[in-house]
Order: sequence, then structure tokens, then C-alpha cells
Amino acid sequence: MSRRSQLLRYGASRLLLGPVMLWLIATLVFLLLRLAPGDPIDALLGIRAPEEARAALRQQLGLDLPLLTQYGQFLVGLLRGDLGASLTNQTPVAQVISQSLPASLELGVCALLLAAVLGLAVGFSGIARPDGKLDLAGRLYGIGTYALPPFWAAMVVQLVFAVWLGWLPVGGRFPVTLLPPTGSGFYLFDSLRAGNWEQFSGTVRHLVLPASTLGVLLSGIFDNALRLNLRRALRSDYVEAARSRGLSETRVVLRHALPNALLPVLTISGITVASLIGGALLIEVTYSWPGIAFRLQEAIAQRDYPLVQGIVVVVAALVVVVSVVVDLLVALLDPRIRF
Amino acid sequence: MASRAFEWPQRALPLPIAPFSDLKRWLTRPLVGALSLVLLAACQPVRPVDRLVVAGRSRIDSVDPAATFSIGAMQLLSALGDPLYAISPDGELQPRLAVAPPRLSADRLTAWVPLRQGVRFHDGSRFDAAAMVFTLERFLAIGKLSYLLGDRIASVRASGPYELELRLRRPFTALPQLLTAVNLTPLSPTAYRAHGRRFLNERFVGTGPYRLTFFNDQQQRLEPFADYWGPKPANSGIDMVNLSNSTALYGALRSGEVDVLLSTSLEGDQQLSLHRLAAAGSLREGRGPALEIGYLTLLSDQPPLKDPRLRRALAFGLDRELISQRVSHGLRPSLRELVPPTIPGSDPQAWPAFDPAQARELFRQAGYCNGRRLSVPLTFRSNIPSDRLFALTWKEQLARDFGDCVQLEISGMESTTAYRQLGKGAFTAILLEWMGDFPDADNYLIPLLGCEQAEGNRCLKGASAASGSFWTQPGLEQDLKRSESLEGEERVALLRRLQQQVAQASPYIPVWLVAPRAWARPNLQTPRFDGAGRVVFSRLQKEHHP
Repeated sequence: MSRRSQLLRYGASRLLLGPVMLWLIATLVFLLLRLAPGDPIDALLGIRAPEEARAALRQQLGLDLPLLTQYGQFLVGLLRGDLGASLTNQTPVAQVISQSLPASLELGVCALLLAAVLGLAVGFSGIARPDGKLDLAGRLYGIGTYALPPFWAAMVVQLVFAVWLGWLPVGGRFPVTLLPPTGSGFYLFDSLRAGNWEQFSGTVRHLVLPASTLGVLLSGIFDNALRLNLRRALRSDYVEAARSRGLSETRVVLRHALPNALLPVLTISGITVASLIGGALLIEVTYSWPGIAFRLQEAIAQRDYPLVQGIVVVVAALVVVVSVVVDLLVALLDPRIRF
Repeated sequence: MASRAFEWPQRALPLPIAPFSDLKRWLTRPLVGALSLVLLAACQPVRPVDRLVVAGRSRIDSVDPAATFSIGAMQLLSALGDPLYAISPDGELQPRLAVAPPRLSADRLTAWVPLRQGVRFHDGSRFDAAAMVFTLERFLAIGKLSYLLGDRIASVRASGPYELELRLRRPFTALPQLLTAVNLTPLSPTAYRAHGRRFLNERFVGTGPYRLTFFNDQQQRLEPFADYWGPKPANSGIDMVNLSNSTALYGALRSGEVDVLLSTSLEGDQQLSLHRLAAAGSLREGRGPALEIGYLTLLSDQPPLKDPRLRRALAFGLDRELISQRVSHGLRPSLRELVPPTIPGSDPQAWPAFDPAQARELFRQAGYCNGRRLSVPLTFRSNIPSDRLFALTWKEQLARDFGDCVQLEISGMESTTAYRQLGKGAFTAILLEWMGDFPDADNYLIPLLGCEQAEGNRCLKGASAASGSFWTQPGLEQDLKRSESLEGEERVALLRRLQQQVAQASPYIPVWLVAPRAWARPNLQTPRFDGAGRVVFSRLQKEHHP
């Protein structure tokens, strides 16, 4: 079988496993939510509502049905692409997700780009003199950013740049004195498309602090990964062979060592993207960024079963897609990979 | 070799300068990009004169009065809609969309409310009795708090173009107070016709001084309503923003990003800091009526607190003044009653003051202090910082004053989990808070003491059981029912007597009062509150110096 066919088969098998993984995750989250203590009716009505009002609302929301029936309805809905409605205000879950997911993706992509540029630059800067001052500083940077508690770091950044210096907004996604752009929900894109400079600069102003904080905190991962892999690559036989052929050191580093060192970094990027989609919670909370992780946290606190289920399923689906794409890219780029 | 800029550890090969220049280029480009972004970020949008930015913490899911009752949403709705009646800051009942108090039938089972004429909804349609009937029937059908109305009102109808008729299930003295609830603000039947039986979360069409022109859960825009029947707003509009983080809110006011900050859920340290800044003249602080009570619920049908002497001993042993100072620096004044002091029927000294000698005597009578120490588990809601501080402080205070008699075993639990277990008798003692849906004494006593089915002093079913105390006493339920229909001094006397009876048994121990606060930038006038504890947006304005 040719490598191309093998690759296609590999990709197909990974994609076919996706729905099974999603079903498992959906089932798990459905069961865990029901097993967890707390009742959505308490969150909706408070503890003082009379039993009759509680029972009526329970019936209205379908929470009085047997668990198996609720599970069946949930799965049937999923198959139809219907994630249900939020218990809190009956808004379709898909609508809530379509409003908060772009916010998370916009933040995540900007942070990831910054992390990659910063991390790779710092990681690369130390290779000239391993164990030299620059390399040591890079290593300290990598460990430091990795070890910093995100919540604390975000608060310090917020206090310094927003409160003390007043350069940037404290939180939120958009200036409250303007109306946000309409369209895809990606404000950068929407404001650019509309050609509205005020909206665009407002979006950027609000994006700078959360994206920078998240980007810097993540850049240590890229820094460490590139440094270790580049160092290993520079000691390998093919680099030795390149040097002995009389190639310039620039060419050796940029054409031979760096591409190989970047392959594991690609895998790390995939994992980071996956974790960013739902995992930037502390940054979202600190900067009042109305993203999906923040929404999920609130939905859990309110025991809003359909919303929690919907968000988890959608985020899981994205994670599955991203990891499949990254796996395929790595397989495509690295001929050493066997399937 | 002078030209060698790099040296590899494995071998000292000559390396041209090219990688370094590449590196410089690679580093320079992002830096230039980052600098451009910072410059871009420095372009602050121009803020319109006389429009104000108000910030609060709670996210607003819905602006439908039938769907929501969060503090943030109620604050917003109070600017967008008018109730039939309102409570003034000094507790007086004032007609708003009604023009006079309700007229009652001889049997007090029918009430007629005369309505204001010439009032328009934001969509231009006319406010009349039919619109009010539509609103109340919609609320009864789909309102989350419909039981508040449905428990007291059997039916509504328009008895005239501008007269509303309410059929009551039983005589109900606090009807005007009930009709102050902002959830009952009239809605335009034209705008809500398609949403008669489902929520309209993102639009609001009422009669208030502002129109809602933009809504999402983090940002709302209010524009003055040109055809408003009452006094025009003193500002040219309000932008409301909801930030999730207390530090962000605090920072936003300090940096001038927002003009007014509402205290809802702001952490104690930050409230204190703002209070001090206001005292120093750097901010303006407004304080609303204290309508939220913090109280301890004691499990009264299980040992050890089944013994009323022990409950009473804990009531005597609670040093409220110390706790108020340590937890809130005095911002939460101590409370010795269940009804807030601004509401008729309050009895400020119903519960005993801190009396260590009396507390020790009661512990002794119950068989403790003589080498035997009472252990009381106290649960606090772990997601509420002031609850944790209270638990830690009270534990230390009891250890200091009654270390040989009693010890608290404190543990935290997330609030939603705790609420679920409250009615199962899971907590020997737990700190909770309560604010009535409308300002009337019954709204504080019935939710804590109501009992539909009892066995002696033990409540088997009803509000007392759901609240986690399970305490009642013969005749209490009848007295509570009676107070709903009594009026004037007779009612006040009954309410006070009821509180004194409850204090004797101490199934609850009032701890503190919480008053809403709002802070404004120094170029604004001090924020004013209405009698329901909400900032009056239409009175917010900048100082105009001659």
C-alpha cells in the first residue's frame, strides 16, 4: 500500500473514531451532571420556592422524566444537531455557544500566535551559545512563564497596565461606549470587514491584555520544546553529515535542524490549541472575557444541564478535529511516522 | 577569528553572521508588530458627554421580567420599566403607574387599582388596564416567581379602560407592596404578543424612563425615552457593563473606565477601600436601604441543637459587633431581628445582645462547660468570601470566650450543593442570607417560619423545613396567616410578638444587615437609591459647575 493510501486510511480511521469518542464524552458528562450534588431548580427558583412551584418547573423542563428517557432525548437531539435549550432562560444552547465560542477562539488564536512567536524566538535565541547568558535567560523565561499561576499573573498584569497605568481596559471584550460589530462573532474579523476603525481598535484594545497574558504564559512551552529539540537535532548524524558536506552553518540550522526540531512543536501546538478552547478559564474570569470556558463554569454553578452538555460536546468535537488535523499534518510532514 | 559570532559546543565551526541577522529580523518584526498594536490600543474611543457607564458584577441572562430575578437584571429593569407602586427611600408607598392606593371591597377579596392615563410604551402603544392584565396573566403563566402572585391573586381583569380589578385568594394587606415588584412592570402587548407564553430575553418594551437599545449578557445600552410620562432622565443615556471579576470592577472605577460601580458581589476588601476613598473625597458613595439579612439557621429537631438552651446560648454567645468589624470593617451592621429595620414590624432588639455570662450559664444548664465541650458543626458557603470569614471569626471568638464550653467545627460547601441539602436537615448550623422579593415583613418571616404540617415544635413540611431549621410552634402558622390580613398598629404588634417568640426559641440567629452601595467618580453627583435598594439611573448626573 502506498504511503498516500496509508495516510488516507489512517485519517479515515481517526475520523471514524471521533463520533465514538463524542458519544462516550456526552454520556459521561450526562451521568456526571446527574450524579453531582445540587439541583437546577434550586439554582433557578432559589430555596424559598414552594414545592408546587418547584414541581411545576421540574415538569416544564422535563427534569421529572426517568433518567433513561432524558438520556434518550439528549442523544436523539444530538443526532439531529439539537443541543436543547438553556434551563436558565430557554435560549437555545447552540445560540449561547455561537455567541461565546468565537470569543474564546479569537482570544485563543491570538494568544497562540503570540506564544508561538515569542516562545520560538526565545527558544531559538539560545542556540548560538548553549549554556551562555542568553540561553540561561531563555531557560529561566521558559520555566518562569510555565510556573507562574495564570490567575495571579493576570491580576498583576491587569493592575499594572489597566489600573495603575491606565493604558488598556480592565476587562470585557469590547468598549461599552460602542456597539459591537455584527456578523460572525469574531470581532476582529467583523470590524475589519465592516471597515470600522473605531470598532477594530476597540477590539484590539480589549484583546491586548488577555491575549498577551495567555500568550506569554504559554510561550514557555514553545521555548522549552524548541530548545530541547533543536539541541538534539544539532547533535544528530544528519546535521553532522550536512556540516561535513561544507554547508554553511546558517543553512545547516535553518534548513536541516530547525524543520526537524519544529515537528514536535507542531504536536505541542495541537495539544495547546485543544486545551485553549476550553481551558483559558482563569484568564477569561480575570478579564471578564465572555468566552466558552467562562460560560461553562457559570452553567455548572447553575446546574444548567443542557448548556453544560452542549458546551462539553462542542468543545470535545473541536478538540477531536484539531488533534486529528495535527496528527495528519505531522504524519504528512514526517516520513518517519508509521501508521 | 574576529568574525565568529556563534560557537557550537560540539565543534568550533566558523559561523557567518547571517543567522544572527536573521534572528534580529525575526525578533524585530514581531516587536514592530507588537508596538503597532500597543499604539493602536492607545487610541481610546471618545466617550460621549453626559452618557454614563455603570458597572456591576452579575451577568444578565435575560431582560424578560418573567424569566429573571437576579439583582443585576432587577437593577436594569427598574430603569426600563415602571411598577404600579414604588417604595420611596424613606419607606413610603408611592403610586407610579397607579394613581392611588387600591380600593378594596367590603370583604377585602377584590381590589381595584386606578391606572395612570397618557402613558406610552417604548413602542408607542398605549398603556391601559388591558396591557396590565396581559402582563400579569403572562407572569402568572410563565413567570419563574409566579407563585408570589398566584398564591395571593386568583384572577385579574380590566374593570375599565384605566382600572384594574384583582380578585384575591384571601385578604392581603401588603398588596401594594407586592405590586412594587419590578417583575410586574407592564409590558407592551403589541411587542410581546408572539411571546405570550415564552420568554423574550433580549428585548424589553415597557414604559420606563429609558429604552433598551442594545442588549447582550455583558453590555446593555439605555437611551432616554422621549415620550416618558414622568421627569426626564438627568443624563443622556446609560451604558451598563457586567464584569465577572471583583478586581476588574474595582480597577475599572479607579482607572476612570466606568463612572458608577454597583456594590453587588464586590468583595469586602474592595468595598472598604472604596468606602475609604469616598470618605477622603476621591469618590462619591451612595447607600441604599438595607434589605438583605444574614442569619444563621440552626437545625432544631436533631441533637445537639434540639435543646433550645443551647440555641439560646449560641444566640447570647455571638459577638456581632466584633464579627461585623472583623469581617466587613463595620460595613455590615449587626442585626438582632429577622425583619430589616426600615420595614414596619421590625423589632431591633428581638434577639439578645452579646452576653457571655448568660451564654455560659445556659451552656452549664445544658450540661456543658464542666469538662464537657459542645461540638457544633458550622457549614459556610465556600464560594462566598464573607461567609468563610464569618465562620473563621466566630470559631475564634467562641474559642476565646467559651473555649471550655463549645467549639465550632467549620467546613465549606459550594452554595448550590448546600441549598439542595438544606431541606434534608444536613446542616447543624449554616450561614445564609435573604432579601424579600418585595419589602414587607411577611416576606421575611413566612419564608423562614411558614409550616404546612407540624408535629409539636417540629415542622415536617413547609418553609421552615425547606430552610433547614425544622422549627415551629403551635399557633405560629395561624399568626403568620393572620398578619397577612391585619393592618396598622395591630399588625406591627403581632409581627413584633412573633419575632420575640422566635428569638426565645432561636432556630435562627440574625447576624448582619447588608445595604447596597454605589460609588461614583468625583465628577458625578452621589448615586441615589430607591426604597427597593436600586440605584435610580435617571438621577445619575455629572456635576455642573457654574
